[in-house]
Amino acid sequence: MSAEEGHSPHEMGLSPPAPPGAVHDLGAAAIDLFLGARELYSVFVRTLYYVVRGKRDKGAVVQQMFLIGNKSLFFVTITMGFIGMILLYQSGLQAKRVVPDFSMLGATYLELLVRDLAASLGALMLATRVGAGIAAEIGSMVVTEQVDALRMCSADPIDFLLVPRFLASMVMTTVLIVWAGVVAFAAGAATALVAFDVPLRTFCSMQLIDWGDLSTGLAKCVAYGAAIPIVSGYCGLSTFGGSEGVGWATTRAVVNSSLAIIVLNAIISTASLMIFGAK
Amino acid sequence: MSSPATGSLWGNVAGSTGAAFLGLAETVGGMGVLFGRILSRLFSFPPRLDYPELMRNLHKMAVKSLPIVVVTALFTGAIMVIQAAPIVKRVGAEGLLGWGAGFGTLREVAPLLTALMISGRVGANNTAELGTMVVTEQLDALRALAIDPIAFLIVPRFIAILTTLFVMTLYADALALFGAAYTGEGLLQVDSRTFYNGLTGGQLYFSDVAGGLVKSLVFGLVIALASCHFGLATKGGAPGVGRAVNATVVASAAGVFVLDYLVSFLLA
Repeated sequence: MSAEEGHSPHEMGLSPPAPPGAVHDLGAAAIDLFLGARELYSVFVRTLYYVVRGKRDKGAVVQQMFLIGNKSLFFVTITMGFIGMILLYQSGLQAKRVVPDFSMLGATYLELLVRDLAASLGALMLATRVGAGIAAEIGSMVVTEQVDALRMCSADPIDFLLVPRFLASMVMTTVLIVWAGVVAFAAGAATALVAFDVPLRTFCSMQLIDWGDLSTGLAKCVAYGAAIPIVSGYCGLSTFGGSEGVGWATTRAVVNSSLAIIVLNAIISTASLMIFGAK
Repeated sequence: MSSPATGSLWGNVAGSTGAAFLGLAETVGGMGVLFGRILSRLFSFPPRLDYPELMRNLHKMAVKSLPIVVVTALFTGAIMVIQAAPIVKRVGAEGLLGWGAGFGTLREVAPLLTALMISGRVGANNTAELGTMVVTEQLDALRALAIDPIAFLIVPRFIAILTTLFVMTLYADALALFGAAYTGEGLLQVDSRTFYNGLTGGQLYFSDVAGGLVKSLVFGLVIALASCHFGLATKGGAPGVGRAVNATVVASAAGVFVLDYLVSFLLA
């Protein structure tokens, strides 16, 4: 922002008043987006490189798995429990208006959970909790110059900080999303029983699940698990400007990882619709 | 918490459970007290708040969030159609696609996802800003100048967040339906006219839209109170600001989901 303001008088002096209008703003935004994407891509590629070639601290991955996985368990359980109740309640109301028949409610709900909702909503929750944590931690290391100290010891911060988080997040996101699906389904089953009198035996039906649904859901788990630490690690590493900068980095990490999840969801869902077709 | 029974497992479990509940009660109570203080400034005559600060926050929170909301809403609409596609095809009712996607979007998904994005962007940033002010003692400076920090800083932010959520949900509703209509046309060959007919065909009531908007106000309330409360309660220097931001994001997300559930039941 301040850089833009710094430029404008200079431009004004050079040429007959070129109004810094919409085109200027759009161009600046596009250039920012392009630079950000290139930087993000570089972080991603370097992470993959160090996953294969890096020298890893013993126990770092396990410690990160504890921080990412176990510490998020309570939060994910609570939010997904409530979300399961809401989702089923809303879809029950929706079904009531067309066909007053709840026999397929459970099967459809389970299919939607497996294919999309468990993974996407669970990952949005994790992006909030885990992404903010990663960005705040790495960001405060950057502003207290601990990352520069790592570089001086010829330890690449990506290898040392990001790779353990990347590996841990890939594993724990998948595990937590499976758990999130279980919680949401159980909460939905209870709601169906209480609100719409659907017996548990009718509700718990797997007849609509097929390999297409399962592989779409798992592909989403892995993609989100990779995206959250990469995006928030990138936001953390590009922190500048003291303690206020850490706040900004955290904000950007949460917003950008949520956006990444929504965009990846659209891409993977479209791909799966094209590969497996609409049954 | 110094629990006397540090040796035994059950003592520890009981101790940490109690500590968690005490923490929860402290947070909820703090937010309630803050809400009371905000209301007392709003309902005095004339209302005590700083208008320039309100305008500044509205610009920073609402106008600057527009790009994220646009992208989120367009993609959300697309996802809703993609997910509704198999069900619609199975029943063979393409006329219902508009209704199916619209019902979920307007009642639930658009308010919820807008609240999550705004809580990430605006709530977290608000806490970081207030927390930095607290740890650099700027609030004490305000008090020393006999300026009420609640009226000067908190009330404008509170109104701005509430307005932001409401207006952004309106935008998100419209854009998500737009994204859904054209995804349906591109991917499922459902004419967008069929989509809009399904949307306006009588199965969707005004109360569905209004319910979503009421939700957005409730979410705004939670996000505003959580971010202001954790910002004001920041202690412990720069790392404290990071902790406060993290606490805000987590508390807003949890609060949004819990209240979503309650409001869904109350409005039905």
